[in-house]
Amino acid sequence: MTRVLSPVSGRVVGLAGVPDPVFAQAMVGPGTAVDPVRAPGEAIAPVNGTLVKLHPHAYVVVDERGHGVLVHLGVDTVHLKGEGFELLAAEGEEVTAGRPLVRWNPARIEAGGRSPVTAVVALDATAEALVDVRESGEVEKGAELFSWP
Amino acid sequence: MAQRHVRVLSKVGLHARPAALFVQTATKAPMEVTVAKPGKDPVNAKSILAVLGLDVRHGEEITITVEGEGDAERLLDELEAAVNVEAESA
Repeated sequence: MTRVLSPVSGRVVGLAGVPDPVFAQAMVGPGTAVDPVRAPGEAIAPVNGTLVKLHPHAYVVVDERGHGVLVHLGVDTVHLKGEGFELLAAEGEEVTAGRPLVRWNPARIEAGGRSPVTAVVALDATAEALVDVRESGEVEKGAELFSWP
Repeated sequence: MAQRHVRVLSKVGLHARPAALFVQTATKAPMEVTVAKPGKDPVNAKSILAVLGLDVRHGEEITITVEGEGDAERLLDELEAAVNVEAESA
């Protein structure tokens, strides 16, 4: 069972709450999303595993069962080209769930006219494969968002 | 086997919407579909994890390969369209 933890603290809004149809329509995959607290923070690894991709605005961790989880920090943040994001790990590293990977400030993203809503997506999974997916309510960083048997 | 080289014209590369559409299109086809960057091993085009891991950037060339029974050229057309769904106008 892969337990997927919230990379940020905030309010759970579900994938439908991401103002980007690619995520809102679950085109990338099923999962959920969190509207983060507007304060400087460090986004964490959602699972134990290998940090196979680390962009400033997004990362993918694959656990020992081959389950890949994408964390996408904000909408259209690729266009910031890393500005406002500080990497705290290196691609290819083994990371433990809860380890800080990217330092950022959701308030700054919002001030720049973009949404900081953070999508947490199970890659190559069907919606039916996920269990106990949170869709609402407050969440603390490190609390479980969904599990993936 | 059918193969096509495609230059990725979408500004975000083969990520986000282009990547999702590309994998959706490949997944719907009964054939085997792989995608590769020059000099790298091909990966399964039906896996969003594999395609995001390939990390194709704007301006890079990819090679899409289709194997198996079916209309490979039509599938390649659809895959090329997915790759460049957000292509910048020249």
